[in-house]
This record gives sequence, C-alpha cells and structure tokens, in this order.
Amino acid sequence: MGKKFIKAISAGEIAPGGMKAMELNGNEIVICNNGGKYYAIQRRCGHMNAPLDMGTLDGKYLTCPMHCAQFDITNGEALSGSVPLDIGHEIPPPFLSKYLQNIEMLMKHIHTESIITYETQIEAGWVQIRL
Amino acid sequence: MSQCAINVESRKKSLHYFFEKVVEPLGFKFTPDEELMNFLLEQEVILEGRHGIPFCPCQPIRKDRARDMHIVCPCIPFHRKHFDDIKRCWCGLFVHKDVLDTDNLPQLPSKEVNNG
Repeated sequence: MGKKFIKAISAGEIAPGGMKAMELNGNEIVICNNGGKYYAIQRRCGHMNAPLDMGTLDGKYLTCPMHCAQFDITNGEALSGSVPLDIGHEIPPPFLSKYLQNIEMLMKHIHTESIITYETQIEAGWVQIRL
Repeated sequence: MSQCAINVESRKKSLHYFFEKVVEPLGFKFTPDEELMNFLLEQEVILEGRHGIPFCPCQPIRKDRARDMHIVCPCIPFHRKHFDDIKRCWCGLFVHKDVLDTDNLPQLPSKEVNNG
C-alpha cells in the first residue's frame, strides 16, 4: 500500500524549539519544530531506544536524554555515540562496581544507528506526516 | 562508550554549532585559519569516537577523570587566565574576538601566568 500524508497536529501546536511525541498508524513519532519548520522522526533513540522527545532540541540537533547520543533531525543521521558514564570520585561498593563493569562491557557492543525520518507538509492548518 | 559509524563532516558541523554557543559569550571565536580549524575539529571527532568525549587534541588524556574534564573542548573556562594572556586556547581552535592574525600571538608558558 502506498504511503500517504496523515494529519498529525495543528500547525502552531508546538512552539519553535519544541517537540511532541505521538503514535500514528502504529509508529511512534516525535514531531519537532525547528524555527517554524516541522520535522518528524522516530521516537526511539538509535542507541538504546530511549524516548527522544524527553531529550533536548537545539536547532536541528537532538540530544538523547539517556546517554546523550546526538542526531540531526533533518535527515536522522547519528552524529555521536553515547557519553561515558560518570560515577563521580566516590568509589562504589564492590557489588555496584561489578554491576557497572558488566554494563560497560555490554554497552561497548551497542552501535548507535541513525534514526528514521518522515516527510512532513503543512496543509489547511495541519502538520501532516507521510506514512 | 558505544560505537557509532559517524560522518566526520556532519559531526564537525554540529561540534562547530555547539562550541560557538559556548565560546562566543566568553569573548572567543573560531580561529580565522580555516585549515587549522578543520584539522582540529577532525581530530576532536576522532577523539570523541575513541573516548566518547571531544577532548582537546593537543593535551594528553591521563585517565584521571577530574583532570581530563578540564581538557574537554571548549576548555576555555578552566584555563581562562592563560588563554586571555595568549589570546588563544592551547591548540589554537579558538582565539580572542579581536584577533585577525594568528601568526603574531604571544607565546607564554602557563607558569608565567597567574592561575594559568
């Protein structure tokens, strides 16, 4: 079945610099307003599936709230991987230290993938997304 | 740190965007020497890919987090006095806003500068 544009939100519902998460046709999507231009991306981070709408949008760059991986919302390109965990100067108790080592070992194998973007258009006061 | 097959040019542009916002209020700008700027940003992208953090390309990473955090680019706030005296940061990626010619900037070791 061919893709078609679907009404998502009314134009003006998201302030410039803002984001809104929604589900459309079974797809988890985040709509971003970058200076009045709308972009739609997959909601889940290309690193560990965190919800990107809880991150920060600065211009066209979106930073994931979980490990700070960054993406370009205009094309979905992954710009960086995760930032190393900081547990401060305090030496953690042995059980926690072991746990953190395991987490670090597992995370070394996780790649950060680019995210899916969706075509958008504004028509009759609605932001529409092609799905 | 996780792996990420990044496009170096795209990452350089995004680092430029974020760094400019930090250094501009501090009275600094990117070096007018574009070749140097591109080279240094590229090295930072490589370091970020290796360590997860864009460290200053001209400083050693000592595996001492407290110390290493002071060489995360842009490191201007941590070495402000020295950079103000030499009108640039150590690697030369950033210079004072009034600098047009980077070849004639003074060279002062940090020990000659208070709190350098």
